[in-house]
Amino acid sequence: MAILSLAFKSLLNRKLTFFITLFSIAISVTLLLSVQTLKTETNSSFMKSISGTDLIIGSRGASSQLLLSSVFHIGQSTNTIQYATYQEIQKSPAVEWAVPISLGDSHQGYTVMATDLSFFDHFSYANKQHLKVHSGKIDGDMFAVVIGAEVANKLNYAIGDEVIVTHGGGEIEGHHHDNIPFYISAILAPSFTAIDQTLIISLEAMAAMHTDNHGHFGVLPGEETLATDQSHEHHDEAKHDEHEHHDEATHKEHEHHDEVAHQEHENHDEATNEEHEHHDEATHQEHEHHDEVAHQEHEHHDEATHEEHEHHDEATHQEHEHHDEVAHQEHEHHDEATHEGHEHDEATHEGHEHDDQIHSEHRETQDQRVARLLKIKPEKINAIFVGLTSPQAILGMQSYINNYPKEPLSAIIPAVALQELWQFFSLAEIALNIVTVFVVLVGLLGMLSIILMSLNERRREMAILRSVGARPAHIFGLIIGEAGFVCFAGIVLGVALLYLLLAVLQAPLASYYGFYIDINMLTSNDLLILTVIQGSALLIALIPGWLIYKYSLSDGMSIKF
Amino acid sequence: MIKLTNLTFAWHQQAIIEIEALHIEKGQHLFIEGPSGSGKSTLLNLLGGVLTPQQGSISILGESLQQLSSSQKDSFRSNHIGFIFQQFNLIPYLSLLDNITLPCTFSALRKAKVLKRSKCLNTEAIRLLAALGLTDPALLQRNVNQLSVGQQQRVAVARAMLGSPEIIIADEPTSALDENHRQAFIEILFEECKKEDITLIFVSHDTSLKNHFDYHISLPEINKANANLVTQEAI
Repeated sequence: MAILSLAFKSLLNRKLTFFITLFSIAISVTLLLSVQTLKTETNSSFMKSISGTDLIIGSRGASSQLLLSSVFHIGQSTNTIQYATYQEIQKSPAVEWAVPISLGDSHQGYTVMATDLSFFDHFSYANKQHLKVHSGKIDGDMFAVVIGAEVANKLNYAIGDEVIVTHGGGEIEGHHHDNIPFYISAILAPSFTAIDQTLIISLEAMAAMHTDNHGHFGVLPGEETLATDQSHEHHDEAKHDEHEHHDEATHKEHEHHDEVAHQEHENHDEATNEEHEHHDEATHQEHEHHDEVAHQEHEHHDEATHEEHEHHDEATHQEHEHHDEVAHQEHEHHDEATHEGHEHDEATHEGHEHDDQIHSEHRETQDQRVARLLKIKPEKINAIFVGLTSPQAILGMQSYINNYPKEPLSAIIPAVALQELWQFFSLAEIALNIVTVFVVLVGLLGMLSIILMSLNERRREMAILRSVGARPAHIFGLIIGEAGFVCFAGIVLGVALLYLLLAVLQAPLASYYGFYIDINMLTSNDLLILTVIQGSALLIALIPGWLIYKYSLSDGMSIKF
Repeated sequence: MIKLTNLTFAWHQQAIIEIEALHIEKGQHLFIEGPSGSGKSTLLNLLGGVLTPQQGSISILGESLQQLSSSQKDSFRSNHIGFIFQQFNLIPYLSLLDNITLPCTFSALRKAKVLKRSKCLNTEAIRLLAALGLTDPALLQRNVNQLSVGQQQRVAVARAMLGSPEIIIADEPTSALDENHRQAFIEILFEECKKEDITLIFVSHDTSLKNHFDYHISLPEINKANANLVTQEAI
């Protein structure tokens, strides 16, 4: 112990070299530990990207590709799952929930993901945490978009702002779906997953954007098939004017609408059942514009009977005047009309009424209104997130999906796929490790050279110590003790610097890079590394220790100058 | 008290010390005259038990050094012998008092002796310093490198005397001092050694000092190896 106190005093005497050595070791320790922390945090943030989802189903392909596209929104994804398949899988008894995911559009470089409302109920990350809303409210409106924290931050968006979605992934390329503007209904709290960089829209809106409905069925009764903006303006005028003016406008376009509606109807009829023939003949000449509505209804309610249609047509006929006037105006009116005519359209009605509350002050484009009526589900989606009723069902379900008879699908277990994908990074991890090991080695070699340089001047000191009874072992211990102490102090300082660094960088890293570093206690791995460093320092000090031992034996008490 | 018999020490097969017999009595003040190259420091290292002779025996205080292990010799040295060197006797990173009490770090015996006499190590160190004429309390606060060479040498004496070892070996302790200080230093050293009944072995190449001593020997005369060396060099 006496020799350690000597070593300590000796170090303090050579403050400059002591502090230089101390800092070089401290910095290398900080670097090494921060790389370790970065590694663990990257890994954990990576592993936290999704939880609570038992399977992710996509088209047949590499599991990492499916994982990257569905969870991290990285890479190209192809729309290959039939929506019908989703519906079928959803009905499977082992499936507790299934959320459809459709990707492919972007907004200023951020991924646009289409899904349905159940996504927010079922998607979870980290420790089964659900996405939290930071501001606004998630609503079921078709053209509401929920944006991730980073999107809101970087693009400086607020609730109610309008967002135009771009086709494809790039910032420059791609067609702007400006016929369907979205409004921001909610901003999510940061989850530090890919969701932060994502805009979430409804599947129906996604489908609407990608359906070429310009001048096709994109017209409501009494409306022009003008370019979107013109029609928009026109509509606004109409909305604000007296009904008279509006009616004029309606009449002008009536013929055209009828034609379009008629064509639509015929196409539809060919494609579907003959029962409609009768119905069509009965109604189409009198109520062409209505047929268009009816046609939509047919699409959505394939099972609707002929009787229902007749009833519906009659009802519509009775309401003709009223309907004609208002169908192209606020949806509320239209819904009322539809409601009266169609008992079976309750869901739509509810949805629209809800929309109207929020939307009364929003200007809607013609395409949006059409889309609202059509409420088309997309034909294809990219992925399905599935929660199963029991964990035991996972493997069975996976094998069922992988051998799905109707189309080639593959199902991945997120945790397993994440782990597999992480293996890709292991090379970078190894490279980083090697670099940091060398940094620590350089720090220790710096210490070695400083001790070695001090040895010659210290031979005198050694002779004095020998004369008062110090053994060579004491002298050896003095050097080892010094090295050990410098290294220990360096480690302590290095750890302190690490926590300082983490504390300082935590907030900026989270806000600018969406990378949240959890400040934790040192892991047992870190402690092991630190022990190894301390041990290496002592081992390296054996060199000057052995030299000084040799000197002290040969010099004895003779003072060398 | 100190007996050297047929002592031979060689380094790389070159005999450096060959002494047939040397006896030093208790309380004696012995001056060993040794110019550089006469094997002076080797002899001191042999006496201190730092070097082990190839042949012959060294007996100090009735203890035969060759029968002790090297660590026992280290303990023996710290218990019974105080050393004073030519210069730079002090360890720069220790305080003045720590420098003086340093032998007690390695010798429990001397520590016990000190504590028998004084309440604590530092009290004894201050007492010794006062006896050696260093009474200024401001000195204690100073870094040992800031002391004058004369002061440093007296501090070295205090360290050598702390805990009353039986023997003090001084290796050119005055060579760094000027004439006045040299005289004063030797007088103080003698006085203190006499008071404590300490055997003093004073080694120097400066023959002018030998008049102060009752006994003096010339190392080249008793060291045959040295004669050989000289002869060889002459050839």
